[in-house]
Amino acid sequence: MLKITNLHARIGDTEILRGLNLEIATGEVHAVMGPNGSGKSTLASILAGRDDYEVTQGSIEFNGVDLLGLDATERAVAGIFLAFQYPVEIPGVSNMNFLRTAIGSIREQKGQDPISAKDFLAKVKRCAQLVELDGKLRDRSVNEGFSGGEKKRNEIFQMAMLEPMFAVLDETDSGLDIDALRIVSAGVNAMRDEKRSFLVITHYQRLLDHIVPDRVHVLAAGQIVRSGGKELALELEEKGYDWVKEAV
Amino acid sequence: MLATKEDRGVKVAAWAAEATGRTNPDFAGLTFPTSRDERWRYTRASNMLGRAMHPATAPGSAPAQRPLPNLDAHRLVFVDGHFMAALSTGVTLDGAYIGTWGESIKANPGLLKTWGRGAFADKEWFAALQAEGSQDGACIYVPKGVDISSKPIVVEHHLSGAGIAAHPRNIVCLEAGAKAEVLLWTSASAEADGLMNLAFDARVDEKAELKLEFVQDEAGQSAHVSHLHLTQAADSKIEVHTATARAHWLRNDLHIEQIGERANATFHGCFAPGDGQFTDHHTRIDHAMPDGTSSELYKGLAFKGGKAVFNGKIKVHQDAQRIEAFQKNSNILLERGATIYAKPELEIYADDVRCSHGCTTGQFDEEAVFYLRSRGMPEAAARRLLTQAFMAESIVGLRPEAREHVEALFLERIHA
Ligand SMILES: Nc1ncnc2c1ncn2[C@@H]1O[C@H](COP(=O)(O)OP(=O)(O)OP(=O)(O)O)[C@@H](O)[C@H]1O
Ligand SMILES: [Mg+2]
Repeated sequence: MLKITNLHARIGDTEILRGLNLEIATGEVHAVMGPNGSGKSTLASILAGRDDYEVTQGSIEFNGVDLLGLDATERAVAGIFLAFQYPVEIPGVSNMNFLRTAIGSIREQKGQDPISAKDFLAKVKRCAQLVELDGKLRDRSVNEGFSGGEKKRNEIFQMAMLEPMFAVLDETDSGLDIDALRIVSAGVNAMRDEKRSFLVITHYQRLLDHIVPDRVHVLAAGQIVRSGGKELALELEEKGYDWVKEAV
Repeated sequence: MLATKEDRGVKVAAWAAEATGRTNPDFAGLTFPTSRDERWRYTRASNMLGRAMHPATAPGSAPAQRPLPNLDAHRLVFVDGHFMAALSTGVTLDGAYIGTWGESIKANPGLLKTWGRGAFADKEWFAALQAEGSQDGACIYVPKGVDISSKPIVVEHHLSGAGIAAHPRNIVCLEAGAKAEVLLWTSASAEADGLMNLAFDARVDEKAELKLEFVQDEAGQSAHVSHLHLTQAADSKIEVHTATARAHWLRNDLHIEQIGERANATFHGCFAPGDGQFTDHHTRIDHAMPDGTSSELYKGLAFKGGKAVFNGKIKVHQDAQRIEAFQKNSNILLERGATIYAKPELEIYADDVRCSHGCTTGQFDEEAVFYLRSRGMPEAAARRLLTQAFMAESIVGLRPEAREHVEALFLERIHA
């Protein structure tokens, strides 16, 4: 599904990613952990097509397509979704209008017919149930005045609505209470299937009890410094990152 | 050789004589506004002097596409300052009169004295010009206690072609407890390059309620200057929703005077000048009596090459205690090379008042644009959605048909 080779990226003069390699097969869930400032959100942003970053070397292949040749919109149309670490508040745009416009845009660009109002509402209902999103939140402006946890839940709601092929979850667990963590994880798990892949960025092994990954990677100083099975997360929790860094 | 002040005076006088069709228009000592006048600091009116224009002796044709064709309304249509009886549906209804100023003063010359030359004519050069060149417009009179608000009155003023100056005068009088809704709509043909110089005076008596929507949708290169003056008595309510949907060069003066206690005024406005366009909204509210309230909201967008001015004056007179006056003006510069000059002006002479105002000029939140794009929206669609969201609260007071029209004109200026 996704193959990142020797990725170097910088913002201004600061080099953030320094030769990152990562391969995610179709249907797999990979977790990325790593110290603050190591470049996890940068990786997520680059995958989603934020153009503040300059990719100086390397390549990203997504289902055989050169991802770096697509802009943010085209990537979303191609099936990439980013659940933001800090979702943006958009006053005046209702969640529903936002999603209707997004789905309409994607379908139009794919040359598909518009979704009917009835199908759209049915889908909203189904997806909101999946993450137990309060009906009131659906009708409010996008993320405006949402609590931290509500914003994260809204991200997963959007993911369910847009049904991406590949979703990046950037610290979706931060700010979630114990029940919300369970609900959001259940939502993600419900979407797991053999055609869809996930990259889950987290600081806590706890999330990986719920969303059990196929692979765990450690990102430090702009590189993947270690990869392993789900037990790697436990080891990190126990020993901290110094241990991996030393091991490099 | 430099033009002297006298030369300029002569040039202005000659232009004004032609624009009003009068040999010696009386400006009561007022001079043509320049950037030295505080109220015209950023507004260059002098370009107009370079264009020959005169009142039309007969009306040209009305626009083929009339505003809000499906709206069930009374209609008064004026083209080039002339009443178009065949297109209009003036009536007398429950004692209310919906007709023209021309007919009204013919039947009752005393009205001219009552209404005088208009509230700005001794203060503003263009208002004096309008008083001197005064032409026909709407006259709406609603007697005591009569409510005709269930069916709005659409007043259309159209400029049909090149070289035309129109000076329509409109009068609204709502007696105690009366209610009416008026939709003022100006338009201009693509060939228009003259001037729409419009006056609107309203008297809203005790407990009366007036809702005024004012849509300015003028194609072409003509200029627009309007003078709106509304006085409101005790316990009355006024709503004004102004939308500059399309205008080449526009100056709009709105002045609301609360001369009775507990009067309530809401006035909202929006503008979005595109390349080469200019929009200037000067608003003023006078709280002259106690316990009045006012709520003002103006929103502006400026595209590359577009320029806008907003000036909002609130004056709370000495004895006007317990006033609550709220003003908000938010502007967005959509692109480089867009300009908005915004200035709140508060003059408060009473001590027990609640006044708040906020004025911001910024850019679109690029984070929000990226967020929307990351959900599959093309850049232009993302910007359109954000524009819609930004403008929403300033146009929500327009009736839906008018709102859709205004919004569509704003959105069509946004390209990828
Ligand atoms: N716009 C920017 N300008 C300058 N530096 C930046 C910018 N964005 C990120 N950085 C820097 O790049 C580095 C990586 O940031 P990034 O957000 O990717 O870290 P992270 O691994 O997601 O951290 P966290 O765990 O705290 O979320 C940090 O040192 C950060 O300060
Ligand atoms: Mg991060």
